[in-house]
Amino acid sequence: MNKITTMKEAISKNLKSGDLLFLGGAQHGAPSAAVHEIVRQKIDHLTVIALLSNTNLLIAEGLLDKLLTGFTVMEEKRSYVIRRAKAMNKLPIFEEYSHFGIALALFAGYMGLPFMPTKSQIGSDMPVYNENIKSIESPFGGGQIGVVKAFVPDVGILHVQRCDAEGNAQKWGTLGVDHEGINASKKIIISTEKIVDSGVIQRDPNRTIIPGFRVSAVVEQPWGAYPVHLAGCYTDGPNVFGAMANEEAYDIYMQEAVYGVKDWNEYLANLKAKNGEDFFDKIKIQNPAMSEPVITGY
Amino acid sequence: MTQSKYATDYSAAEQMVVSAARQIEGNDVVYVGVGLPMQAGVLAKNLHAPNSTIVIENGIVRASIFPIPRATDNLHSQSYAEQLSGLFYVMCLAQAGYINTGFLGAGQIDRYGNCNDTAVGDYRNPIHRWQGSGGGNDVMSFCGRTIIILEQTKRRFLEKVDFNTCPGYLDGKPGRREEIGLPPNTGPAVVITDLATYCFEDGEMTLKTVHTGCGVTLEKVKAEISWDVKVADDITDTEPPTEEELNVYHEKIEAVLRSYGPRPGAAPPSAQAQGNPR
Repeated sequence: MNKITTMKEAISKNLKSGDLLFLGGAQHGAPSAAVHEIVRQKIDHLTVIALLSNTNLLIAEGLLDKLLTGFTVMEEKRSYVIRRAKAMNKLPIFEEYSHFGIALALFAGYMGLPFMPTKSQIGSDMPVYNENIKSIESPFGGGQIGVVKAFVPDVGILHVQRCDAEGNAQKWGTLGVDHEGINASKKIIISTEKIVDSGVIQRDPNRTIIPGFRVSAVVEQPWGAYPVHLAGCYTDGPNVFGAMANEEAYDIYMQEAVYGVKDWNEYLANLKAKNGEDFFDKIKIQNPAMSEPVITGY
Repeated sequence: MTQSKYATDYSAAEQMVVSAARQIEGNDVVYVGVGLPMQAGVLAKNLHAPNSTIVIENGIVRASIFPIPRATDNLHSQSYAEQLSGLFYVMCLAQAGYINTGFLGAGQIDRYGNCNDTAVGDYRNPIHRWQGSGGGNDVMSFCGRTIIILEQTKRRFLEKVDFNTCPGYLDGKPGRREEIGLPPNTGPAVVITDLATYCFEDGEMTLKTVHTGCGVTLEKVKAEISWDVKVADDITDTEPPTEEELNVYHEKIEAVLRSYGPRPGAAPPSAQAQGNPR
């Protein structure tokens, strides 16, 4: 089944107010275009589970009720995003885990299990304030073992290098918690640099991170992770952490990237008009490393 | 080593990175995070520990040398790695006992090596918030020996941390880590600050060397600790950086980081993430 659609439709048809949302692409290949579309559509009362923060815009616009996180800026003295959310009385609840804790919560969801045992977090004060991390007596001896509750996101969003029309998606480079998070998610939106023929996928099937039957929507979105790098495609843009320093910079950015444009492509076109036709050429990879072809077939 | 090899003009930050890099040797498998830990890892790979393996949180395992990234994950730290996977995989390596050395920054540390990367004051109503554990708790829970790098001030060196993000030897009683379920033979091993270095004796932070070459005195070190710190019988001067170590530091770390230029719109890095005294 052909699942190709626009970002606008992919978000509006699959993500609802109140959903638990997984965002992939921590540090590598963030789903930037998708997050901006969520903001444009003002889908609110979301709970997000993600590593690190491509969640700044969602917090700043007051769209998050809760963030399940291992590492995020929470200090208002250091963050306009936090000050803004607080001023609207829409600061999300931060439920804190270690990074491995986030990975395990998603892994348990991906496995269809209620929790995952671990030796992380149990020696810390995190379980005191987070009822989803506990210690139990190991049923197989050896004393105490930690457990982290599973999470099954209603919607998962991942940006990848290539995907076919059915949704067979391939991502390479570092994967953060992409594999665990996207496979744990019920509905899945793939945004991809390029839609490719199914043959491209089928000749290299080990690279498929999620099979088509699990995917709800496919959006072709070149530069969809900008300004974050994506292996084989582009390096970090000049504005990698976003213009979130103060109200003025924030308002300008929101106008340019969200409210003043109809979609990500218009934003990209405006960036080129403003910074020169070669703006994106400058961040394309300069020294591609070509792998030897992997041979399959019979 | 003859005295003439040592540099005479160097900063506390350089001493910290060099002291940290010297903790990596032979075939060590080392987890490094952002800031001084990453600098220490890259420095060691370029100097005395070419056979060490560097593990980076987002899923990078590398035996081959690589240019220092601005943070941790970029196309330089990814490209030509021996293995790329994800955070789940590398943390499984750590949990199963295959990463023998871990590096951490910290906001606060206490007498028994517990580290706070979370909140100053009461968690529910904090005076200051740091970003949280990240992979820090996992590293401290799993790695054979964890090396903590941070700026030393009285407010950071506390009898007991306000919030225990990364467990050290907990209340200091023998066997406490194992009792609550942490793997045996793990925990904080070394603390490196801009003033001194510390080891752990019977689970208690113990002053081992003083950065006298940077003009630091024992009195100054003690003035920046909130408890009456235990001092090692064999306390000595910190071994200063050699000329070679500094040259490689300037060429492979400082110059490369400078070439990335400033980060527009980025907040200044926190002391916690950087462990940096400057």
